[in-house]
Amino acid sequence: MAVFYLVLGTVFGFILSRSGAADYNYIQGMFLFEEFQLYGIIGTAVALTAPGIWLLKRYGKTLTGRPLVIERKAGHRGNVYGGILFGVGWSITGMCPGPVLVNVGEGKLYALAALAGVLVGAAIFGCSYRVLARPFRLPPLAVGTGEG
Amino acid sequence: MPLILHDLEPLHWAVAGAGIALVTLALLAVTSHRLGVSTGFENVCALVVKAPYFGRDAIRGSNGWRLPLLGGLVLGGFLSAVLGGGWEPTWALGMFDTEIGWGPAGKLAWMFVGGLLIGFGTRLAGGCTSGHGIFGLSNLELPSLVSTVSFMAAGAVTTNLIYRVLV
Repeated sequence: MAVFYLVLGTVFGFILSRSGAADYNYIQGMFLFEEFQLYGIIGTAVALTAPGIWLLKRYGKTLTGRPLVIERKAGHRGNVYGGILFGVGWSITGMCPGPVLVNVGEGKLYALAALAGVLVGAAIFGCSYRVLARPFRLPPLAVGTGEG
Repeated sequence: MPLILHDLEPLHWAVAGAGIALVTLALLAVTSHRLGVSTGFENVCALVVKAPYFGRDAIRGSNGWRLPLLGGLVLGGFLSAVLGGGWEPTWALGMFDTEIGWGPAGKLAWMFVGGLLIGFGTRLAGGCTSGHGIFGLSNLELPSLVSTVSFMAAGAVTTNLIYRVLV
């Protein structure tokens, strides 16, 4: 199965690379409201994924016959404050998490620094979960903030 | 507008959006996993950082699919460069070069700081553009809408501050 995930990731990465979703200028153009491209991409993806998920839930099984289980994410204060921090980081780098990896693959050298920052940031978060849990009303440590 | 990568013309947004929807639905339909990239960074952290948070079941049980997915994203970018004119290391950063113009050391520092915010912020929010913006919104989850509005608004404010006020 590892090959299946590798292929899915590769297709995803190729699309992000060639669509502008992993391109600094297109991200700034989106946030400046000057480029429609990223709004079109995300809007189309949601408009097609939503009915797909609905149909799969009705079907209730995976294609291999196992039960389809979608765990919904918990709501907490981290949704807002984490979202804000991430938005600032997305603007600064011109990359969200997928495109950080795509840019590394493309050979953009500065993306290595972004990736190092992402991993250090995630490590700091994980190591301070117990401290952050109370002020941000986070779910128990075993649950986490949401798998995404 | 051409891409920074070899000045290529980008895919049409509808084609790219449909492709991402197919990837998302294939992952769900075959293996019942919800698409999401940022949790995968916790799987990478878990390889070296032995904090209790990184030892939880959701991480230990997902190495087998999240790590290859992350590897695929790097490979996809690599193949895109190879097939689009050749892979070569580059510092090119589009309008950052023309408007701000910092050299390699400045870019590395800028990107590291931005990366810290992405890593910490996405994990605090419980997802990123893929997990909240695409999967969560498509599954009509309120926390995902809250997160998506938060990161889109913060990004818009930051970019407008940088390019319309500061430079």
